[in-house]
Amino acid sequence: MAALLSSRFLKGIANNWASASGYQHGMMRSYSTTVPSESDTHDDFKPTQKVPSGSTASLKDIVENDVKENPVMIYMKGVPEAPQCGFSSLAVRVLQQYNVPIGARNILEDQDLKNAVKSFSHWPTFPQIFIKGEFIGGSDIILNMHKEGQLEEKLKDVSGNQNSQ
Amino acid sequence: MVTKEQVEASLTSKLKPIHLEVNDISGGCGSSFEVEVVSEQFEGKRLLERHRMVNAALEEEMKEIHALSIKKAQTPQQWKPSQDSATQAKDA
Repeated sequence: MAALLSSRFLKGIANNWASASGYQHGMMRSYSTTVPSESDTHDDFKPTQKVPSGSTASLKDIVENDVKENPVMIYMKGVPEAPQCGFSSLAVRVLQQYNVPIGARNILEDQDLKNAVKSFSHWPTFPQIFIKGEFIGGSDIILNMHKEGQLEEKLKDVSGNQNSQ
Repeated sequence: MVTKEQVEASLTSKLKPIHLEVNDISGGCGSSFEVEVVSEQFEGKRLLERHRMVNAALEEEMKEIHALSIKKAQTPQQWKPSQDSATQAKDA
């Protein structure tokens, strides 16, 4: 019971934090601004639609589009500049070794998006990393691929987009 | 809450591991676990598929577990060589 209460409490903090900081993240602007979640709004009074059309199908489209448009896409807790979970932080740090542009969404901002990503990849936890549209896995897998040199191989033709020297 | 024993029982019954290590890394809260699994069933499967198998074996538990770190998902053949190294002496 205590654990349940405290996790609800923490979730509340995370949501508030996310709604305040999420907008910094450029590529997500068009999406994030659809529903600013008021910190003082009770769950019952929050709008249930997070995107204009609101259905699961359209969220799936968003995810599909994300992974198509971004050669490296990560769904994480927090934002790359300020991850809110050790595993998300680890995954971002690994990806940042490769100087590739990283698309990211903060799943703490939106429970519906979180569920949509989970059902898209059939993967229960976050972070989730997609490279060139392919689901790669979570932080354990990305770290393993980094160590084994497979990540370098995967990102070979993506690398250098950001730092060309 | 989910206990270490529950996680061990589910992984044991579904993956029949020859080596299994489960650690509750949430300080006993049952919300974060670290697992090492060595199983014949991983044979011929790539890491993503192996992790999917572990996730599937813990489908019920995952509803309550917030973080599952799969440190190892190896076949018995892969596991043997690394067992000799000093860092893998836990089971001795």
